[in-house]
Amino acid sequence: MKQATPQPVRRSSLSSLEPIDTAPFRKPSSARFVWASLLLVWLISLLPWRSWPPAPDLLMLVIVFWALNEPRFVGLTVAFVFGLLMDVHDSGLLGGHVLTYVLATYGAIVLHKRLQLFGSVVQAIHMLPVFVVAMMIPHLLQSWLMGAWPGWDWLWSALITTALWPVADILLHLPQRREDEINSGAA
Amino acid sequence: MQGQGHGTIRLFKRGPAAEVRLVVYVVLALSMMVVDARWRVLDPARQVVAVALYPFQRLVMLPRDLMAGIDNWTNAASLVRSEKEALQSQRIELAQVATHAAQLAAENQQLRRLLGVVEQVRQSSVAVEVLYEPVNAFTRHLVLNKGSDSGIAPGMPVIDEGGIVGQIVRVTPFTSEAALVTDERVSVPVQVLRNGLRLIAFGGNASGKVEVRYLTGDTDLKAGDVLVTSGVGGLFPAGLPVAQIDEVRHDPATGFAMAEATPLSHPERYRHFLVLLVGNSDPATESESSSP
Repeated sequence: MKQATPQPVRRSSLSSLEPIDTAPFRKPSSARFVWASLLLVWLISLLPWRSWPPAPDLLMLVIVFWALNEPRFVGLTVAFVFGLLMDVHDSGLLGGHVLTYVLATYGAIVLHKRLQLFGSVVQAIHMLPVFVVAMMIPHLLQSWLMGAWPGWDWLWSALITTALWPVADILLHLPQRREDEINSGAA
Repeated sequence: MQGQGHGTIRLFKRGPAAEVRLVVYVVLALSMMVVDARWRVLDPARQVVAVALYPFQRLVMLPRDLMAGIDNWTNAASLVRSEKEALQSQRIELAQVATHAAQLAAENQQLRRLLGVVEQVRQSSVAVEVLYEPVNAFTRHLVLNKGSDSGIAPGMPVIDEGGIVGQIVRVTPFTSEAALVTDERVSVPVQVLRNGLRLIAFGGNASGKVEVRYLTGDTDLKAGDVLVTSGVGGLFPAGLPVAQIDEVRHDPATGFAMAEATPLSHPERYRHFLVLLVGNSDPATESESSSP
C-alpha cells in the first residue's frame, strides 16, 4: 500500500490521461471477503487473549477499516450490532462497546473523503484521535455510572490499535494487491 | 461527537442518513448504558443475545476443550491400564488383595476428607467449569458452563475446596456468571472464627483482596484471624471459610479501623467449582431470610 497510494497523488495531473493505472487500486473488495474477515476477527475477539488490559481492539479496527474502504457493506448498523455482541460477551454495561464502535465508525465516515488521499501510515495518524475519543467517551460514562476509574490502560489499547492500522491495511487489501501485481506483471 | 462539525459540511452526499443514524444509535447506546447500570430491565435482551452468542463462544473455545478432552482420555487410558495390572496381580496372589484394600481404604478416607466441604454444608450442588473470564475493567467475574437449565439462579454461592469463591449474578439457560468475593460489589456476611464476631466482608479496593470496613476502635480483630460465613442473610450457608485477615489499619482521622484479608479460595488456580443450589433445596430459609 505504501508504494501504491502516493503514485496516484503524484500523478494527479496525469491521472485523467492514465485511468488504467489507478483502476486496480480502486477495485472494491468482495462482499464475501469483507464479511469473512469481520466474522473471523469477531470470533478471535471472543478468545481470552484480550484479558491483557492494553490489548488492541481488533474488531473495532476491522469495522472502522471496512467502514472507510467499503462503506457499502459496513456502516453504523454493523458497528452497533457487533458492539452489542461484545458487550454481552464481556458482561459489561450494555452500550459501552456499542458507543465506542459507533463513534469510531462515524469518525471514519466523516474522514472518508480526506483519508482516501493518503497512505496507510498517515491514515493511522488521522485515526488515532478518532479511536482515542471513541474509547474515552464510553470509559468516562462507565466510570461515572459504576463509580470507579479503571485506569489508563484503554489509552494504550487505542495506541496499539492505531499502530496496527497499516498492518490491517496490508492484510485486508491482500486480495486486491495480488490481482494488481498479476495485472502489472502481465503488462 | 468530535466529527459533528465536519460531518455536516463534508457529507452532503450521504449526509442526513449517516447523521440521523449516528444520533439514533448514540442515544440508544447511552440510554442502554444508563438503564443497565441502574435497573435490570435489559436482562431479558441480554439473555437473548447471550444464548445466540453461546454456540460461537463454544466454537472458539473448541480447541482448548478438545485438548482437555484428549487429556482426560489419555488419563482414562492410563487409569484402565493400571487397573488391569492391579487385577492381574490380584489374580496371581490373593494375599495381595488385603493390603490393596487397606491402601484403598486409606485413600478413600483421604478423599472423603478432601470432600469435607460438601458434607459440611449438606446442600445440593452443581459442579461447574469456568468457560471464560470476561474482559471488564470494572468487575471481577467468571462465566461458568452451566446455567438455569442445571438449576442455577442468581444469588447462589460458588465454592471451591478453600471456601467461598463468589456469587452467581446472572444466568442464561446454558451459562451463568459469578462475581468473585474480591469484586467490589459483592458483600458476604461473615463471622470471626476465633470469637464469633459478626461482620460484613466486601470486595477490596486492592485487587484480589477482601476488606472489612468501619470497625470501631475496640473491635477484637487481629491479623491471622479466619473469617467464615455467618449464615446471616440466608444466601450463604454458615461455616464456609471466606478469608484470612492480613492486617488491621486504624485511621486516626475517622476513628474507624479497616481490615484487609486474603481470600482462602483460589478462583485463579482451578477451573472446577461447586454452585450450591441454596434457594432450590431449602425454600424455608430463603423466605425466612427475605422477610426481615
